[in-house]
Amino acid sequence: MSVQLNINNKDYVVEVAPMKRLLDVLREDIGLTGTKEGCGEGECGACSVFIDGSVVNSCLVPVCQTNGSKITTVEGLSNNELSKLQQAFIDCNAAQCGICIPGMLIAAQALLDLNPNPSRGEIREAIAGNLCRCTGYMKIVDAIEIAATANKG
Amino acid sequence: MITMPQFRVLQPENVSQAVEFLAKHKNLRVLAGGSDLVVNLRNKLFTPEYVLDIKGIKDLQGIKENQDHFSIGTLTTLTEISQNPFIKEIYPVLAKAAGLVAGPNIRNMGTIGGNICLDTRCYWYNQSYFWRKSCNFCLKKDGDICHVAPGGKYCWAAYSGDTAPALLTLDASIKIANPKGEKTLALKDFFVMDGIKKYNLESNEIITEILIPKASAGLQGVYKKFRIRDSVDYPLAGVAIAGKVDKEGNCQKISVALTAVNPAPVLVTEITDLLVGKKLTDDLVEKSVELARKTAKPMKTTLSTMPYRRHMIGVFVKQGLEEILK
Ligand SMILES: Cc1cc2nc3c(=O)[nH]c(=O)nc-3n(C[C@H](O)[C@H](O)[C@H](O)COP(=O)(O)OP(=O)(O)OC[C@H]3O[C@@H](n4cnc5c(N)ncnc54)[C@H](O)[C@@H]3O)c2cc1C
Ligand code: SF4
Ligand code: FES
Ligand code: FES
Repeated sequence: MSVQLNINNKDYVVEVAPMKRLLDVLREDIGLTGTKEGCGEGECGACSVFIDGSVVNSCLVPVCQTNGSKITTVEGLSNNELSKLQQAFIDCNAAQCGICIPGMLIAAQALLDLNPNPSRGEIREAIAGNLCRCTGYMKIVDAIEIAATANKG
Repeated sequence: MITMPQFRVLQPENVSQAVEFLAKHKNLRVLAGGSDLVVNLRNKLFTPEYVLDIKGIKDLQGIKENQDHFSIGTLTTLTEISQNPFIKEIYPVLAKAAGLVAGPNIRNMGTIGGNICLDTRCYWYNQSYFWRKSCNFCLKKDGDICHVAPGGKYCWAAYSGDTAPALLTLDASIKIANPKGEKTLALKDFFVMDGIKKYNLESNEIITEILIPKASAGLQGVYKKFRIRDSVDYPLAGVAIAGKVDKEGNCQKISVALTAVNPAPVLVTEITDLLVGKKLTDDLVEKSVELARKTAKPMKTTLSTMPYRRHMIGVFVKQGLEEILK
């Protein structure tokens, strides 16, 4: 089927099998490989993207359900320059292998959009669906906390 | 690599169009939020020819007030239910259960109807086609033996939804649309104690609404679940309790339901019979715990052990009754 998508403020029309996963469409048909596949079963959050403002796991979304939707992937979080959130991840050494990071950034951005001044507990809850095998989460939580402070200042 | 098989997708705009499709096509599967179904399709646990994507039907979203009920559209997401101030206030057990499903992303996608219709789960079943094939499959799909209870012809796969037990304690019912029209069924009569049959829903039927009686509004509620990863997992044992005490401190209403320890969620009505009209004592708590433990029949369908899951049912019943009735 023909599917119309607005991804990171750019319009696309793709001709794809209706049950193809949004994750695969983003990576294979659009060429946006920032979004990662960790588990392919909804358990890790590496594939997180915004669809019409809410964060979902793109490995669980058949593309036919996104026709006409507005999608933001990790590539859409910055405009040439890194966002404060991305910079905070670098400054805190919050990434090791990095595969969970696109999902972490999306989940963190969703949190900061709603709650610019979250507690550490709220941060942990917001990234509950995002699995990281490397960091132990401390530095990721630090980075999100610092980004929140930077937002205020 | 696991690939998505090909399906024909139907996207009705309203319920009557959906029902027309249901009447016309036999080998069909309903798709709502997809958070359970997409994985199951990829693992070839379901092999329909058609997928009926109901996500675009606007009428099936949101919460409405009727004469004696509040009606929740089947497509209302778990995030909406867990955060809705009205639901939190009048049906706290439901808001809590919905808020403990999976993690935030899946709650944004998962619908309440999809949560009720969640497939039963088993270590031998929720695997890729390749994995299942290497074990000669099992009764529930493609095979003819049960690895959990090898001699039998019965499937023990555990019902693992979180909102159904909460809805059972609120005496909820569901509205079903089919080519003949509409019907309403009490949720407790919907579920079937059989890991394969699971529930009374024909292949040409869809759930449209969940109805919760106003008579259940204002009950206190708790929902507790045990899971391996507290951040995103399915329950391996879960308890929902709704109830209240009267002015004298006697139990006026109480309802206890279990999930994830049987092929269907169950109400432990014996606890209601035991406690109503009485003040909660340690002895009554112990008796209630025993009744719940007797109802729970977890089998070796998960990586956690059966005795531990049954033990946690007892712990949650004790904690929950004390929170509500003391
Ligand atoms: C990592 C992970 C963790 C999870 N953890 C939990 C958990 O802790 N607790 C829990 O309860 N669930 C959990 N789930 C399962 C699932 O995400 C939720 O149950 C969700 O609510 C399912 O809703 P959905 O709309 O996505 O359903 P779908 O996947 O669209 O459908 C699920 C099933 O219901 C049927 N169906 C859906 N809507 C209707 C309807 N209106 N009429 C008839 N049939 C219908 C479908 O045909 C399908 O068989 C988890 C899933 C994942 C991937
Ligand atoms: S309980 Fe037995 S039949 Fe049912 S899914 Fe598990 S192994 Fe298969
Ligand atoms: S790849 Fe989608 S949640 Fe893991
Ligand atoms: S940095 Fe490796 S998984 Fe998180």
